[in-house]
Amino acid sequence: MAKILEVKHLVTSFFTHLGEVQAVRDISFSLEKGDILGIVGESGSGKSVTSLSIIGLVDDPGEVVSGSVIFEGKELTKLSDRELNKYRGNDISMIFQDPMTSINPVYTVGNQIIEVIRAHSDMNHAEAKARALELLDLVGIPEPLTRIKSFPHEFSGGMRQRVLIAMALSNNPKLLIADEPTTALDVTIQAQILDLMRNLQAKMGASIIFITHDLGVIAEICNKVIVMYGGKIMEKADIMSLYEKPQHPYTIGLMQSVPKPETGQKKRLVPIKGSPPDLLKPPTGCPFSPRCEHAMEVCLKEAAPLYKISKTQFASCWLHDKDAPVVKGFVKCESVPDEETEVLL
Amino acid sequence: MVNKMRDFKFIDSSKKMDKEQIRESLTYWKDVWRRLKKNTIAVIGLIGVIIVILFGVVGPMFSPYYFSDQITDFSYLTPSLDVFQITDTEDGDLENYFVHLNNDYRLFLISEDGHIIERLTRTRVDRSIWTYYYDYEGEEIAVDYSRRVGDEYTGDIDYTVTYEGVETLYPTKTVWNKTYLLGSDHLGRDILCRLMYGARISLTVAFVAAIVNLIIGVTYGSISGFKGGATDNLMMRIVDIINSIPLVIYVILLMVLLNKSNMWTIILALGTVYWVGMARLVRGQILSLKDLEFVLAARTLGVSQGRIISRHLIPNAIGPILVSLTMMIPTAIFTEAFLSFIGIGMSAPAASWGTMANEAISLLEKYPYQLLLPSLAIGITVLSFNFLGDGLRSALDPRLRKG
Amino acid sequence: MSKREPLLEVRNLKKHFNLGGRGAKKKILTAVDGVNFVIYKGETFGLVGESGCGKTTTGRTIIRLYKPTDGEILFEGVDLSALNEKELFPFRKKIQMIFQDPYASLNSRMTVTDIIGEGIETHNLYTGEEKQERIYYLLETVGLKREHANRYPHEFSGGQRQRIGIARALAVNPELIICDEPISALDVSIQAQVVNMLEDLQNEFGLTYLFIAHDLSMVRQISDRIGVMYLGKLMEVTTSDELYDNAYHPYTKSLLSSIPIPDPRSSMRQSRIVLQGDVGNPINPKPGCRFAPRCIYAKEKCRSEDPELIEIEPGHFTACHFVKEINNI
Repeated sequence: MAKILEVKHLVTSFFTHLGEVQAVRDISFSLEKGDILGIVGESGSGKSVTSLSIIGLVDDPGEVVSGSVIFEGKELTKLSDRELNKYRGNDISMIFQDPMTSINPVYTVGNQIIEVIRAHSDMNHAEAKARALELLDLVGIPEPLTRIKSFPHEFSGGMRQRVLIAMALSNNPKLLIADEPTTALDVTIQAQILDLMRNLQAKMGASIIFITHDLGVIAEICNKVIVMYGGKIMEKADIMSLYEKPQHPYTIGLMQSVPKPETGQKKRLVPIKGSPPDLLKPPTGCPFSPRCEHAMEVCLKEAAPLYKISKTQFASCWLHDKDAPVVKGFVKCESVPDEETEVLL
Repeated sequence: MVNKMRDFKFIDSSKKMDKEQIRESLTYWKDVWRRLKKNTIAVIGLIGVIIVILFGVVGPMFSPYYFSDQITDFSYLTPSLDVFQITDTEDGDLENYFVHLNNDYRLFLISEDGHIIERLTRTRVDRSIWTYYYDYEGEEIAVDYSRRVGDEYTGDIDYTVTYEGVETLYPTKTVWNKTYLLGSDHLGRDILCRLMYGARISLTVAFVAAIVNLIIGVTYGSISGFKGGATDNLMMRIVDIINSIPLVIYVILLMVLLNKSNMWTIILALGTVYWVGMARLVRGQILSLKDLEFVLAARTLGVSQGRIISRHLIPNAIGPILVSLTMMIPTAIFTEAFLSFIGIGMSAPAASWGTMANEAISLLEKYPYQLLLPSLAIGITVLSFNFLGDGLRSALDPRLRKG
Repeated sequence: MSKREPLLEVRNLKKHFNLGGRGAKKKILTAVDGVNFVIYKGETFGLVGESGCGKTTTGRTIIRLYKPTDGEILFEGVDLSALNEKELFPFRKKIQMIFQDPYASLNSRMTVTDIIGEGIETHNLYTGEEKQERIYYLLETVGLKREHANRYPHEFSGGQRQRIGIARALAVNPELIICDEPISALDVSIQAQVVNMLEDLQNEFGLTYLFIAHDLSMVRQISDRIGVMYLGKLMEVTTSDELYDNAYHPYTKSLLSSIPIPDPRSSMRQSRIVLQGDVGNPINPKPGCRFAPRCIYAKEKCRSEDPELIEIEPGHFTACHFVKEINNI
């Protein structure tokens, strides 16, 4: 399968007056054509900054310190802003979290879609408008002919998000990055949007990076998952393995702290003790170790390499090491260098 | 390196890092100060403000004069004096003397370093040869306008000075007036000293008026914003009506009515008019704050309205209030100067910058420095406060919190 | 089942907001439009719904942050809706509130001691040394430390701030606490901590909760009974188990089926009911059932007559004309 995106040893930091906030601390992953990759993490995990780093939107005082982002063979970190602009909205599109603030309120919806289309093609106004109407229909906006002239405030949250999706898909992107696109929406609307995204992905064959903190949403739509914490990757796996047999204490902890509706009796939630780390002074070693019930001496000293649980599952945890004590649920296996940790479905 | 034996042991919970990390971050004011420091213009403004305050508060203590001290003989002396040397002793013990002629044809005896010693009486005038004669210790000094000075000299001194037979064609040098560092005015009062007292007056008027505005404006605005509804509507319409006429007009009317022109009437006039701006601002702040959850929490606890305003609302609105206060000061200074300038401000011998400017208008052609200096003082002060206020506004703006 | 004591009874509660306009063009936002329910002492009553359903407004009206447009709020038998601020004052101790946004619910200019102590001072519960001790006790109860007492809110994380808010509410010894989306703004791993803490506090202090939220799974976790709201009206009220296993109202059914299931293998996904259209507009609503425009079972009667909240089975209330037909009972 063709690899559409490769991220290698990405490091992004924010150089504030208080010091260096290390948002992303050496992560590597790759995406194949047709993948829907979920990046799961809480606030401070680095998931949003990762997506911004890919597309070069990390603003002062932050910058991509090192690492590479290779899109279809081209190294994006070395490109200037102008060169990157040719990709943005074109081959790589992005949807952000809050549909209320992601659209410019003073222009009509039609205007904004047409602007994106014409920025990356040489269609004239009429052709672009026809395409815009097509897109509005595609994303399920009723009466596109009238609504193309509407302003953003005349749409509800769900509708606005559809408009944003239309804009993002207007130039048939190969990669769509969606940063918490349904977090601000009602649950019934979320179901609609997830449905829409699934259908569109099947139709247009785009690869998607879907960022969220909601484990349920990940299970709905993704085929591969990366779990991030404290700027590092804790676990990488295909969706089935992750939910059936999670191999990292953080992943397990997350799943235990979320109520599961189908189980008959209500079990008391098992929260993860403590709180997310301060990225100004990130802990040495594994970022999760202060909160981990299985933490060992080594965990405080050094971050674990990725251990290969299977071809489709990798976890960064010392418990998998042959010399570590046996803990129920954690298999023993070999560690592999970052380059070999592709989740091969 | 990973030591296999030792490192794979579990840690008991007491060794794990303090789970609830608390980050020490800057307090509100420290952060504001940090951002202010980075803004060069604001720092310039702040330095200017400090200098002006020191000038007014501490300055007069260093002046040998009082603002109303006058020596009419020594009036109309510029800060920089073109002097002609008249004695030339090689003896180091004795001083050399110089003379300076001012624009009213008065001749002064000046010491080497610029001190004014005395005014020399004019003995006679000979119009036929365009010469004025002055008496110095029995000898005559002739100031001759008839000779045209050579073409190389491009200054505007078009006379020569003759003493004891020696004619000096050009001014020997230019000295700084050491008796009156910034010159003297039409009544022989030291301008520098009057500027310093003027600073006191201007700053006192401005600060006190600003405080009065603050108290009235904050009270009015917070009641209006907090009550909301019809009360707010009524109170704001009153403000609108007041505001529809330029506020300066009210001040002028008040001054005319009060008929007494001193510092306190000006403060009264300014304080009772300019509060409308502050009231509007505070009301806006209160409106945006009062639906925030911490205010709702106070209401659910049963906290009284007064305490909610004083403890919750105003402290969180203090930023814009402070900026408004800082910007009110230059307005007050300028208005006071303006009033004095048009003659309904402070009355003589009060040394307000405005009165100084007023008195200097008629002398603009002959002695421009007398108008220039108070104008400069007003300009620098107002500009400094404006820079500072602008910088404060940027520093207090939470949206600009980056990095 | 022993007869439980009702602590709070809400009867036909209405809260309308006038958005301006006159006569025919008058715009009224019917945020809460005739809500009836009872909360028994010691239980947790969950109130769920999507945006615009009126659940937050209901909570705020009960605690009298708003004056109700109509209806009664009976707390221990006393009707709060008609009281003025002075008469309400003693009740301010008995009903408290926890807010959603941990960053906006604490006054950033006050120390933790001041924040927690404000209620104690206002009601003169303790003074001096005793008051300080009480504040320390509250801090420790919510999992914070004495040393935190002199700090300012910005020095704490979201989860910690929420705990401070809870301590503030507990300070006056309330009987009923209205939790207005207390965990929505927190990280997932912190949410469970706070939910567990709320449960523990309930057991320790005998508290009664009105838990308002939009996260159905969490609401089910913590609530004994749940009310489902849509556009200002209650659609269904029953025990949390019954709601999940046996919901009768079409809206509840689709709401439940929309919840993303954190299990990729789940077969429940196939039976999902995806609603068309948007959540409706509470301004100048049309007559009839509020849910009719989106309901797949809607008939003529639904568009003209407003259904009443009726007890279909013991303890299970629904507001739907055709509930029996839809569910075959």
